[in-house]
Amino acid sequence: MPRLLPSPSDWIARLSTPGRYAVGLGMVALSWGAAELLHLWTGSPRLGGPFLVGVLVTSYLVGSGPGYLAAIVSFVVYNVLLANTRYSLASYTPEDVLVLLTFPTVALLMGNLTGRVRDEAKRAEARALATAVLFEGTREFSISDDPALIRARLADHLAAAAQGRAFVMAGEALYSAGGEAPAPMVLSAARALALEEGAELRTIEAAGWRVRRMTGGGAAGWRADPPLGPDEESLLQILADAGAAATARAQLAVAKAEAEARGRTEDLRNALLSSISHDLRTPLAAVLASASSLQEFGDKFDAKTRRDLTATIQEEAERLNAFVTNLLNMTRLESGALDAQNATFDLAEVVDRTRRRFERLRGQRRIVCALGEDAGVALGDPVLFEVALANVLENAVRYSPDGGEIALSSFQRDGEVVVQVTDEGPGVTAGELPRLFEKFYRGSAAKRTPGTGLGLSIVRGVMQGMGGQASAALRPDAPSGLVLSLILPAAKA
Amino acid sequence: MSGALGRLLIVDDEPQIVRALTPALAAAGFSVTAAENGEAALGQLAGEPSEVVILDLGLPDMDGKEVIQRIREWSDAPIIVLSARDLESEKIAALDLGADDFVNKPVGVGELLARIRAVMRGRERRFSAQPKFQFGELEINFPARRVMIAGEEVRLTPREYQLLRILAGHAGQVVTHRQIILAVWGTETNADAQFVRVLMAQLRQKLEANPASPELLMTEPGIGYRLSCDD
Repeated sequence: MPRLLPSPSDWIARLSTPGRYAVGLGMVALSWGAAELLHLWTGSPRLGGPFLVGVLVTSYLVGSGPGYLAAIVSFVVYNVLLANTRYSLASYTPEDVLVLLTFPTVALLMGNLTGRVRDEAKRAEARALATAVLFEGTREFSISDDPALIRARLADHLAAAAQGRAFVMAGEALYSAGGEAPAPMVLSAARALALEEGAELRTIEAAGWRVRRMTGGGAAGWRADPPLGPDEESLLQILADAGAAATARAQLAVAKAEAEARGRTEDLRNALLSSISHDLRTPLAAVLASASSLQEFGDKFDAKTRRDLTATIQEEAERLNAFVTNLLNMTRLESGALDAQNATFDLAEVVDRTRRRFERLRGQRRIVCALGEDAGVALGDPVLFEVALANVLENAVRYSPDGGEIALSSFQRDGEVVVQVTDEGPGVTAGELPRLFEKFYRGSAAKRTPGTGLGLSIVRGVMQGMGGQASAALRPDAPSGLVLSLILPAAKA
Repeated sequence: MSGALGRLLIVDDEPQIVRALTPALAAAGFSVTAAENGEAALGQLAGEPSEVVILDLGLPDMDGKEVIQRIREWSDAPIIVLSARDLESEKIAALDLGADDFVNKPVGVGELLARIRAVMRGRERRFSAQPKFQFGELEINFPARRVMIAGEEVRLTPREYQLLRILAGHAGQVVTHRQIILAVWGTETNADAQFVRVLMAQLRQKLEANPASPELLMTEPGIGYRLSCDD
């Protein structure tokens, strides 16, 4: 920071106004002492020098006001106390009269000059400080997106720039800095200013405070000590306006983020609706097309065509039923109405039954079952376990390429039985793994495949509902594909 | 009679839909082929053109709208979109890209065949430069710009006539608001669907026996209008 004069020590800079005048009077007392000593020493009656020095030092250290005081007091002391008592006025030589006349004039001029330089230096310092605060503040505001944080920091910066107290208020929130909060009267004036009609940004004065209205709501106030010059005032206003603009921008950013979040929820809901409508309408479309074909052209079809069409109707009705069942399961899970039995059941039997359900749906994919007869006896609900396993298998079939292999296996560990389904599908990225069981979540590779993202969330819900777990892992032995594990407590033999 | 009406291509990734539709379409006289994705459909069309394309919008490899666009780059084959998506914006986009009609899944084969017949007739009519259009009591003489209803001449404003002309040119098919605005008001306009609604109300006043319950000028809610020509 550039300085016109070397700065006096800090304790002087921090003095209050009465303190600075006290320093001036002290300086006169010192000058008086020095003059007395000089008189004792030299016997000279020319004692104006020490007082002049005292006035100069006072003006330099604590400003022009105390300088004037020191000059007046010095004049009185010099004339009345020193000159009058020791040397009668009658004995004044013309030289003495000249000294008496020039001394106060010079003292006043010097005091004025040094005081002005001092004041100018102080003002330049304050301006430099305010500029630095303004720069720092705008930089800080520009990188923050939190309106509350910006308001709190604006109060700090205003207090620092004013070298006094400051506050920022917005609605019910109040941020104050640099000392205690302003009086209620100032706050209500600020509130009234903030609520004013129109968009004019103006500054008002209230009980020694300057209060400025902020764009985007609220008001900022500061109280400088000592009072600031017009330049500093306008710098503070710019700082307040910059803070207000940053707050408004941050509020817009928050509103934008909220709107985006709402948009995402909306997108999710639309995706779900279109997915559900697709999953319901596709089988319905096949049923309606087949049935209406039979009705209109039944006579023209050969027996095989008729059989194919009725088979399509049956399969699609079953698929529709499975989908509706899943939606019901989901609803039951959500409402906590899942009524799980706690029975011991033979895993191999349930797994085999589920696998056979997929014989027709698997298409060109192979389902390899590596479950021994000693797969184990699990504790849980066999019907719900079948729901979970069917969903996992459906997923595996859906995402596996034609000719792909889906492996079913099981093992026991630490009182648990684990059934694993391993597929050769596109899998997911490691980052997507934890979200796989979330409702409506679909991995990036799933975009091309129809589905609702309901299946695996049902799997987890159902498994947890009967005291088990479901987990997913990337295949350790292949570049893609998933391993889904269904875990249940083992029944004690 | 199989194949008498020419080739028909079904583009759908759900095999059960293809399985369910094929017998009836074959019995109606088409030689039916199927493609399970967009690339295969474009390849098949390039190899052997089809009379009609039935297209699902939700394909695994590309959006059905892109398929429409790619086909329209070189072919005028009628395209009927058959989709389970029921977003109005999707239908409008598909029609604006050049699809001839839009049918929601599920649909009975009777209605699907009627729509297929309508688009094929529409093509014939548009490309055979006939001077007259006649359906029921409505008769339009294009060269003379004259419109008759039950043998009596109806006086139409130029805009009403343009609206009727574009609907007659696509008789039986949906014409979107945007297509109507382009044909009636041109490109330099701020006309919107509301303008079309008002114009349509005027036209119905002149042509429909009961304008509140139209039998000729049908509304496709949210999409556009259709000149009915069900025989």
